[in-house]
Amino acid sequence: MAVTASTVEQAVTPVAGLGSPEWGGFDPSRTEDRGSGETWRGFRAAVSLGWQMQANWTDPFLFFVYSVAKPVSAALILVVMLQIISGGNDPEYRSFVVVGSALWSLVMAGLAGLAWSVLDDRERFRMLKYTYVSPADFLIHLLGRGVAQVGVGAMGAIITIAIGIFVLGVPFDPAAVDWMGLTVVMVLGLASILAIGVMLAAVCLQTRQESWSYPDAVAGALFLVSGAVFPLAVLPLAVQWIGLVNPLAWWIQGVRTAMFPGGISSIGGTGSLWTDLTGSTAPDLTTTVVVLLVTGSLVTLAGTTIFRISERRARDRGLLDRTTGS
Amino acid sequence: MSVYEFRHTESPQAAADWTRRQIVMTDLRAVGGRAYPRINGMLREPSWVFFEILLPFLATSAFVFVYRALQAPPQYVGFVVLGGAMTAFWLSVVWMMASQLYWEKSQGNLELYFAAPMGFMAILFGMAVGGIVMTSMRAAVVLVVATVVYGVTFEIDQWFLLLLVFGLTLAALYGLGMILASLYLVWGREAFQMNQLLIEPVYFVSGLNFPVMNLGLVGALAIATIPLAVGLDAMRQLAFVGSPFPVGTPSVEVEIVILIAMSIGFVLAARVMLAALERRARRDGRLSIRWQ
Repeated sequence: MAVTASTVEQAVTPVAGLGSPEWGGFDPSRTEDRGSGETWRGFRAAVSLGWQMQANWTDPFLFFVYSVAKPVSAALILVVMLQIISGGNDPEYRSFVVVGSALWSLVMAGLAGLAWSVLDDRERFRMLKYTYVSPADFLIHLLGRGVAQVGVGAMGAIITIAIGIFVLGVPFDPAAVDWMGLTVVMVLGLASILAIGVMLAAVCLQTRQESWSYPDAVAGALFLVSGAVFPLAVLPLAVQWIGLVNPLAWWIQGVRTAMFPGGISSIGGTGSLWTDLTGSTAPDLTTTVVVLLVTGSLVTLAGTTIFRISERRARDRGLLDRTTGS
Repeated sequence: MSVYEFRHTESPQAAADWTRRQIVMTDLRAVGGRAYPRINGMLREPSWVFFEILLPFLATSAFVFVYRALQAPPQYVGFVVLGGAMTAFWLSVVWMMASQLYWEKSQGNLELYFAAPMGFMAILFGMAVGGIVMTSMRAAVVLVVATVVYGVTFEIDQWFLLLLVFGLTLAALYGLGMILASLYLVWGREAFQMNQLLIEPVYFVSGLNFPVMNLGLVGALAIATIPLAVGLDAMRQLAFVGSPFPVGTPSVEVEIVILIAMSIGFVLAARVMLAALERRARRDGRLSIRWQ
């Protein structure tokens, strides 16, 4: 076919959708970066994909039951422990453990969402290499899948708190809640969770199929230094230092301060490192937000750097299309 | 003469007519072959030491500190440590027994297992043996380190009985794992969700961090049906002699009987279910279907 001015004109004109240009040749405009719009589109597609993979295997009711059983059970374990020891005479501590364990379901979901996206795609669906070579940024794709999982975790967290308030008698006054502070803390906290999830995804790029249990293991270890279900003050001082640089500890403290002003602090209190260092009994919400922002930024930076290193190593060693049945 | 050595036969039918010794030896080799990657894999990728020993130890520690924050009696710390060690086996049953056939199906190994000339129960036993060896290491480290770090004092009068209960608990747990593995043979993506349902809710009703009979009727039902609940309760009674247990807690002897019944019942049930579900999976064409 002779190349005419008309076919050249068609070649440089972007074509909508995924179809070929009318003249059947190569459209160079498709290789150009479309900027943030394309990133956003890739992110939305990943969220949608993640949600459907999580949810469309059954009817919504059954999916709901599966999604809330885990966080509610985790909270009940702690409530029963509390009931056995204190005989139910400590409602303030009950709200402490209910909120902490409810929030922890978001951590579990965020960590598992990103790590399992890598493992799912590599080990089960064997799609990782195809996902990797698709135009969407791999990290953005993983973040989208992680956000979908966080959505499932949020459902569990809300139900757990609702059960805490309506069934377990957790004292809650909506008028006393600092809603603006709660929103800011939640946004910063969720970003930190995803950043830690990115780190774990980076690890899972390098490891084997047994890595399915790694999110639980990592979340379990972080549980110790986050003040989720007991104040950091009961930990040895050296471990409290780790807690103070852990953004999840500040996130949980922030949520508690915003939702239950004047309640038990997971960071401060008698015998805590925070009180020793600052002289105050507990950090206020502004301090909490500032420290959460700083620690969260550091974790995000570390997560991105570790992920890029892991990604390079995975490409170098051919790990993207490896399957490791054991 | 090796059972695999070539022998002249009159016909293909005669070649397929295996002796009892050939069948048993092949099954034993299958057990060893399936256990091998799990045991040997521990040496090949040492990162499991960090992820499967250190981190679970920290997770167990969190519950120790909950009791410390509540100023609970010291035996409760021991309850948590013992529970933390036993969770390793439950996680192994859920992830490495129950869902293993689902992974195998996704990876294309399942049809090879069925095509190979050994009993499928041998594969399940191999998975169990490998899982027990792998997991025992993790459980032992969590138990020993946590005992030393948190100063847990065990008061054991009957070591033999304790070891017997531990062995029976593992037999019952992995027997249940075999039943679940056969169920996963016909499940699709719901298998993965089922794993989620089998962890925290089972921890709760099994009394992972407290004597299970504190849950009343729910605890009694758990003792009657869940090997983790009954095994853990019996081990606590034997490892912390003299500690008060809730009214209604069955005696160790009764719990041993329950564990024996579970061990035998679960393995037999697994055999029957495996055969039935294999037939169904073959009929529905689900043995080689993937990723649905």
